[in-house]
Amino acid sequence: MKNKIKVFRAMHDMTQEGLAHAIGVNRQTILAIEKGKYVPSLDLAFKIARYFKVNVEEVFIYDDEIVAESAK
Amino acid sequence: MSYTKGHMKKNSFYLLIGCVAIALVLIFWEADEIRSPLLIMTAFVVAVALILFARSRVTDLIQDERDIKITEQAMTRTMLVFWVAFCAFSIGAVVQMLQVPTFSRPPPGQHIVTLLSPRLMGFVQLGLLCFMIFLYVGFRVYYARKYGEWDTDEE
Repeated sequence: MKNKIKVFRAMHDMTQEGLAHAIGVNRQTILAIEKGKYVPSLDLAFKIARYFKVNVEEVFIYDDEIVAESAK
Repeated sequence: MSYTKGHMKKNSFYLLIGCVAIALVLIFWEADEIRSPLLIMTAFVVAVALILFARSRVTDLIQDERDIKITEQAMTRTMLVFWVAFCAFSIGAVVQMLQVPTFSRPPPGQHIVTLLSPRLMGFVQLGLLCFMIFLYVGFRVYYARKYGEWDTDEE
């Protein structure tokens, strides 16, 4: 699962700590999602998307190959 | 320790865990001195209840879904290994206690080697629990690393 959280954070001039605090997770979780090491739940994905006031598909891009690789 | 309206900071909580652990060691010592297993058993249950209660009062300890996933994965793997080891030891102990008859008797004067005497089972169980703790820590480190716990970036 690719994502554009870093891009949206830059657009909103926001730190990982700030975003993490706003949606109620740890900074490491935001970092792990950005680096593709952790795939967030639907709930968290929607929270992030709604925080940036965009659709979830604009932040997260489903990629079959990457998802299959991370599931191993 | 800093308490605000019954709440607690993370560092105070860790300090409390240390104090409880020291108290448990002292109670274990005392229980051994006065030959009262009930004392240490009750103290252990009370200590765990106290830690769980204190944990629910910690204000700056965020446990999000990634933490929960790491804990779940580590617990699942630990239990998978642990139940096999525990079952193997328990079955061995039961077989030994039942004294299953054998077709061939040992020659006179030769003793049957007993690996798990009932008196040793307490130590074996404690050893297995220690093994379980080490396993859990190992799996936790593995999954924490897998899910980017110690990753850093430019921020």
